[in-house]
Amino acid sequence: MRSVGTRILTVEDDDRIRQAVKLALLDEGWEVDEAETGEVALERFHDQAADVVLIDIMLPGMDGFEVCRSIRRQSDVPIIMVTARNDTHDVVAGLEAGADDYLTKPFAPKELSARIRALLRRARNSEGGAMERVTVGELEISPDEGTVTKSGEQLHLTKTEFKLLVELASQPGKVFSREVLLERVWGYDYFGDGRLVDVHVRRLRTKVEADAATPRYVVTARGLGYKLQP
Amino acid sequence: MTGWLRLGLRARITFIYALGALLISSTVAFVGFALVQRELLSDAEDTAQAQLFNNARDIRTALQNQTAEAIEEALADQGETDPEEETEAPGLDFNNVLTTRFNRNNARELLIIQDQARSNFGLQERDLPSDVLAIVNDGGAAKRRTVPAGQPRLTVGVYIAQLDASYFEVSSLQPLQDTLSSLRNTLIAVALGAGLAGAALGYYSTRRALQPVVRVARAAQAISSGDFGTRLDPSGDPDLAPLTTSFNDMVGALESRIERDERFASDVSHELRSPLMTLSASIGILENRRDELSPEAVQAVDLLGKDLRRFTGLVEDLLEISRLDGGAVVADADPIILVEFLTFVIKQSRSPELLVVAKDEDRETVIVADKRRLAQVMQNLIDNAAKYGDGATGIGFSTAGDMIRIFVEDHGPGVPTADRERIFDRFTRAGGDAGRREVAKGVGLGLSLVAEHVRLHEGRVWVRDRPDGASGAHFVVELPIGDLSILDEELAT
Repeated sequence: MRSVGTRILTVEDDDRIRQAVKLALLDEGWEVDEAETGEVALERFHDQAADVVLIDIMLPGMDGFEVCRSIRRQSDVPIIMVTARNDTHDVVAGLEAGADDYLTKPFAPKELSARIRALLRRARNSEGGAMERVTVGELEISPDEGTVTKSGEQLHLTKTEFKLLVELASQPGKVFSREVLLERVWGYDYFGDGRLVDVHVRRLRTKVEADAATPRYVVTARGLGYKLQP
Repeated sequence: MTGWLRLGLRARITFIYALGALLISSTVAFVGFALVQRELLSDAEDTAQAQLFNNARDIRTALQNQTAEAIEEALADQGETDPEEETEAPGLDFNNVLTTRFNRNNARELLIIQDQARSNFGLQERDLPSDVLAIVNDGGAAKRRTVPAGQPRLTVGVYIAQLDASYFEVSSLQPLQDTLSSLRNTLIAVALGAGLAGAALGYYSTRRALQPVVRVARAAQAISSGDFGTRLDPSGDPDLAPLTTSFNDMVGALESRIERDERFASDVSHELRSPLMTLSASIGILENRRDELSPEAVQAVDLLGKDLRRFTGLVEDLLEISRLDGGAVVADADPIILVEFLTFVIKQSRSPELLVVAKDEDRETVIVADKRRLAQVMQNLIDNAAKYGDGATGIGFSTAGDMIRIFVEDHGPGVPTADRERIFDRFTRAGGDAGRREVAKGVGLGLSLVAEHVRLHEGRVWVRDRPDGASGAHFVVELPIGDLSILDEELAT
């Protein structure tokens, strides 16, 4: 499945890694845009939007988190963070800065391509059986149009947040375990990182809930998962 | 001696203090008692003697003026007791002679005159100690303490030459004895009290004295649990300054050495990461182009790819271990439905056809553990079974109180008893030296990582023979069920 015209922006300060990643991505048939620093990356992104952005957290000057936040302010483009360590601190900080997914170095190029493809699928959305419009309380979710409104006002969700909400809305009241959500939204198997779900639920709540601390819609179900409260 | 040595320092010091205090106080009490006793007894004897001489003088005066006949008569009268006659007789009355005088000590008296004995309070000759009787009858004076029938008494006697009479007084020493025994009891109580006080003092002072040691122990504990910033307060007791200083220096040296080691391990691993990334990306491209390569090149690429993956795995394990060695790692708390978890583990493993072995009542078991690390534990145990035991033949779990036990068993040769601890060390392989030929099969970090991860969860891992008696190894991972209260908390906070 070759996605013609797909542009990937990679932000990485190590020459050889950047080259290797570029080779691997080109091999998948994608166009690759490169940046060595955060500042350059923001310029490039401003000149020409990308379909997926790959950001290394450890950058000289402006760090990866900051680059992520800046891009997130202007776009809901899918972002993958590359961390050197699997520490909760780095991972959660990256996700909170707005990343959709993360990879730990050293990763196999195949793994990277799989993650990018999953994100692209989410971004192109629309596939999957047409789902009815769902109304829960003041929320109105239109899977086909890719929009959510609250009391008639449109909410700005990233693709991943939207996909997460749509999954929960497919069966309001049903509890989805983190593992199921990881598989359906991110395309991970059982062993994906539950922190992805947790941080995205948190981000989703800040957008759909009146008070994120006492959620009315996206509710935790006895530790094992989440559900959309009808 | 060993029993003595096994007592704590503090117990020993307390014991010695108590013993010392008891020894000193009982010596003082004993000597004091002996002095007081001697003093009181000699006082009593002096008093009794003085009184004896006084009384003897009085008797002599009373009887000197009497004619020998009057005395004889009085003695004869005394024998036949006729009250009427007595009252009529104005003559000499020995009872008067013996009792009208002031008698301080309530002493009983006996006067032997002309071989006739006269006494008050029924004192008789045979009540006297024979040696006193003999000395006095021979014209001397004597005194003696005796304890007939448990009644301590003092006998004093003197010969009255003018009357050719022997005069004795016997006084009871019981009141003196009572005083002395109550004094003795008091002194024993005081000595024991001093012993107890000594013990208390020892206990208290050792607490004070051992406080620096306790502080050092606490600091050492903090350090061993990874808090390398811990130092002793150098402004404490000047006597302990050398200890404090050298302890702090040692910790400082240790800290910088550990930091250096950690930095080295982490630097090396980080440095290895970049070339590994480059290598694996390049190999990936070659693998995608297999069709365009000659058969020899395909073989080379396969070989490269396989070794590269193992190399990458090794670097990842090393990174994980250096992170664990740093001590800063905290296990994530993920709720895990065990049956579901193990089903996925098996599905991904080299033995995907296995079924999870568990009792029906355990099927709902949920534990709280680090899902990623537990998955790696299982993966490594299954890999290990594949490398050394012809593949896993059984995977399952059971509950045991607030612990769960996950097992992985194989149908290989098993692990010899001597190797059962060693195989969890780093870079050890089943079979010891003979296992060198197994080098190609893998690196020896798998089981040591299992042990590290399990320890991180405060669990245990061990290996035994298969319980069903068949040949093979039976690995058991025992983990606490964990804090299930997180199930009630918000996941995303």
